[in-house]
Amino acid sequence: MVSAELLAACRRGDRGAFEELVELTHRRVYSLAYRLTNDRTEAEDVAQEAYLRMFRGLAGFREEARFETWMHRIVTNCALTMLKRRGRFGEVLAEEPPDVPVPDVAASRTADRDSLSRAMAGLPEGQRVVVLLKDVYGLSCREIGEEIGIEEGAVKVRLHRARKRLKEALDEPDEQAGPV
Amino acid sequence: MSRTSRRVRCEDVREILPEYAEPGLRPAGPVELHLASCAGCRADLAAYRALLSSLEAVRDVEVPVPDGYLERSLHLARAEAVRGKVRSAADLKAASVRVGAAVRRHSTGLRYALAGLGGAAAGATAIALVWWSAARRTIGPSPL
Repeated sequence: MVSAELLAACRRGDRGAFEELVELTHRRVYSLAYRLTNDRTEAEDVAQEAYLRMFRGLAGFREEARFETWMHRIVTNCALTMLKRRGRFGEVLAEEPPDVPVPDVAASRTADRDSLSRAMAGLPEGQRVVVLLKDVYGLSCREIGEEIGIEEGAVKVRLHRARKRLKEALDEPDEQAGPV
Repeated sequence: MSRTSRRVRCEDVREILPEYAEPGLRPAGPVELHLASCAGCRADLAAYRALLSSLEAVRDVEVPVPDGYLERSLHLARAEAVRGKVRSAADLKAASVRVGAAVRRHSTGLRYALAGLGGAAAGATAIALVWWSAARRTIGPSPL
């Protein structure tokens, strides 16, 4: 957890505080960037850009209690900008499931996580991103709508469909699951 | 499992369970009554809650970071801290320039004020001399 004191020190330009902030958050920042881009190189670029924006935006940030959400929004924004630049933003809006499931390397430690990972990968990208940002990273439907550029109501519809689809996928007998 | 319970159908209840499963939300009224009597819908609600709980737990599952990623990020932080200090120094210089300009601007007024004070003092001295001289003439030479 990033403390208010640490954020205050960062605002003063304290080099040690910047370093501590990075050490505390770098894994989480990278994980979200990777889950949004599905590309390790792009994820690092997104993380670096997100840190720059965080360092420069901290002066105007006062809601210490919401730091994580603020950080997740910045990473999301950077990732979506990257996807737009690479011509991949259409994937985020897609309502059709992907042809090739994208494995989530982070969620493969247990059989349950493996099933969840496969179920997530089977979602249309437009639903996967919404469920990732809402149910995994805790952004509100309004915030997600602002980031993606769709109405809050459309976010809720995607979320509803995504949850139903995930539950159905997890209810099915897991034919792919091998020994743990 | 009953297909209907107190006029609410399983299909209707199951359609809203993905939202009801969120933490802090609790089924109320007819939905609550339906759930109390329908084991199938209760099981579905439990499954959605378990799903949301599993998804929330994914946040703590960290993707392995590439070699050197932390060091590169720390390098960025150091550079940004230096940049922040440089920016602070630039801000300080800009502030000193602003103060200098303000002093120069106000120094004109100060000169006028000092000139005014000097003039007033000179005027007061002249009046005092005139009054003293007049007083001497009125009183005249000492009888001694």
